[in-house]
Amino acid sequence: MRMTRAIACTGLFLLAGCRAKDSRPLVAIVVPSQDNPYFKAEADAAAARALELGYRVRVDAHDDDAYRQDNLVDAAIASDAKILILDNAGTDASISAVRRATRAGIAVFLIDREITARGIAKAQIVSDNDQGARLVAEEFVRSMHADKAERSDYVELLGRESDTNAQVRTAGFHAVLDKYPALTMVAAQSANWSQAEAFSKTETMLQAHGEIRGIIAGNDTMALGAVAAVKSAGLKSVKIVGFDGSPDAVATIESGEMQATALQPAVLISRIAMNEADAFLKTGSTGKPEIQVIPCELVVKKNADMYSNFEKKK
Amino acid sequence: MSDKGPRRFAGIVLLLLKLRAVLVLGILLLAFSILTPSFLTANNLSILAKHVAISAILAVGMTFAVLAGGIDLSVGSVAGLAGMVAGGLLTIGIGGHISGVAVAVGAALLVSVLVGLLNGVLVSELGVAPFIATLGTLYIARGAALLLSHGKTFPNLAGTAAHGSTGFSILGQSFVLGVPLPVWLMILIAALAILVATRTPFGRHVYAIGGNVRAAKLAGIRVERVKLLTYCFSSLCAGLVGLIIASQLESAHPATGESFELNAIAAVVLGGTSLMGGRGSIGGSLIGAFVIGVLADGLVMIGVSEFWQIVIKGVVIVMAVTVDQLQTKLQARMISAPPRRDPARVAV
Repeated sequence: MRMTRAIACTGLFLLAGCRAKDSRPLVAIVVPSQDNPYFKAEADAAAARALELGYRVRVDAHDDDAYRQDNLVDAAIASDAKILILDNAGTDASISAVRRATRAGIAVFLIDREITARGIAKAQIVSDNDQGARLVAEEFVRSMHADKAERSDYVELLGRESDTNAQVRTAGFHAVLDKYPALTMVAAQSANWSQAEAFSKTETMLQAHGEIRGIIAGNDTMALGAVAAVKSAGLKSVKIVGFDGSPDAVATIESGEMQATALQPAVLISRIAMNEADAFLKTGSTGKPEIQVIPCELVVKKNADMYSNFEKKK
Repeated sequence: MSDKGPRRFAGIVLLLLKLRAVLVLGILLLAFSILTPSFLTANNLSILAKHVAISAILAVGMTFAVLAGGIDLSVGSVAGLAGMVAGGLLTIGIGGHISGVAVAVGAALLVSVLVGLLNGVLVSELGVAPFIATLGTLYIARGAALLLSHGKTFPNLAGTAAHGSTGFSILGQSFVLGVPLPVWLMILIAALAILVATRTPFGRHVYAIGGNVRAAKLAGIRVERVKLLTYCFSSLCAGLVGLIIASQLESAHPATGESFELNAIAAVVLGGTSLMGGRGSIGGSLIGAFVIGVLADGLVMIGVSEFWQIVIKGVVIVMAVTVDQLQTKLQARMISAPPRRDPARVAV
């Protein structure tokens, strides 16, 4: 009994501590996860910019679970957030959550992924996945000399197949690759964005298909898994490309074990979103169209030293 | 006399049910060898075994917990945590001092065992249901792994000679007599576990506790201590798996091992170990792990899409559990119907 009471009292004190007066308006930042370097970089950049602009910040992750995202939006409404910076949990599944937040008077800014509905969010700022995928695919073709070679077999590692970005990227890859008759895709497997899964699936695919000359991956973590698998198989000339521009991938490109990646300007997007959110609160308008598409940049060995943590060095 | 035929038939069915994992494994191996010519090559089998080693080592550890009537849901998270502990020590170190491989591996395994100890204390001393206790530590360990790096990956675990931190990649990438080291570790751990389960008092105590915990207690078995040790062993195996994966990838990612516990449980169940405890074997779990591994790799080799792979894996697990129920019922019927029972006399 006494124990319970003591715990209850401590809890109350802690609550009271948290409720200490802070008059700065609250920015809620909700991203898919914080254990992925990309989402972490975008969350950190948005939070840093918000603090600079004089806001209070709370960062949460919905783990790509629309239900969890719903709860986090409710929490943002309950805690009277003024701005919601959201990397959403699904094109269609997120519409109702965004609408609810907007109705509650929160200015919602979507980053990285769009929703299909227009006119609800104040802005949707995304990187151009299609353009980025084409950039990477073109570099992939160049590195394998597929425009000249007689036949080049390659495999594709797809992201989580239910994810829109995975679909857009693979469509972008094939818009370029399918133009080259010498290129033959001998296998395609989803590795669910995961390095460990990409490692074991690539090892297996290398066994099933003899002469694989290239591996094109839907993101950098999977590309790095493929790099490890190719290394473990003792192969040297397999060309590997990824997508995202993660720091580990950029370092691997510098070392020559990976050919290219498309850097998504995550940091830039977060900063733009936060700047426009601030402008919206102050002037009632972002001054920009709702949909803003920011192009990706190709990172290869030559320019790899110019990029770090999802942004171009100044 | 008249019921001898059906009884023999039931006996054969029971034997087939008991050997189901071996049968399924045989069928899968045969099917994939026909479908993909490169399946049955030494090189591929070596890679296959390396992939299987991951879930097999987890499953062997899990088997003891399940045999004693428990379950360990935390293994995947513990694997992730172990990799992160080693990764952190090898790349950042403590207070700027980068650790050597032995220290990093030792510390990672120690942390794993501590999680097991926590599981054991929660389950056996505090009486928390194993499912709940290990679900809790699943989250605690995963959270701790994320906290260690603030969610980042520790890359470049190959180490530098200057810090004396090279050699970590040996664990997951080297070969002994042409066989990958992780496979040797799997064989070693499985052999040790079979020995412990079948030849030592501890092993018999585990079965006794799973069969009837009350009877075991009355027979003077130190139930708490035995349960505690099963969780420690399970966590130790999980920690080793985390180290192997980190060594293979030369990087440690905090989300490593997500849903591994489900693979391990599936392997255990496929191998004929009852989730109620008391019945099953280490060898069975090993075969179960091979079934899952062969299925996963084989489907990738013939190019089946991810969605179908998930469905097929689910079907195999459901079938295994259904067959398990069938076996239990059949066994129960054979016990309740002794051969010389005369139905007429019983009726009178």
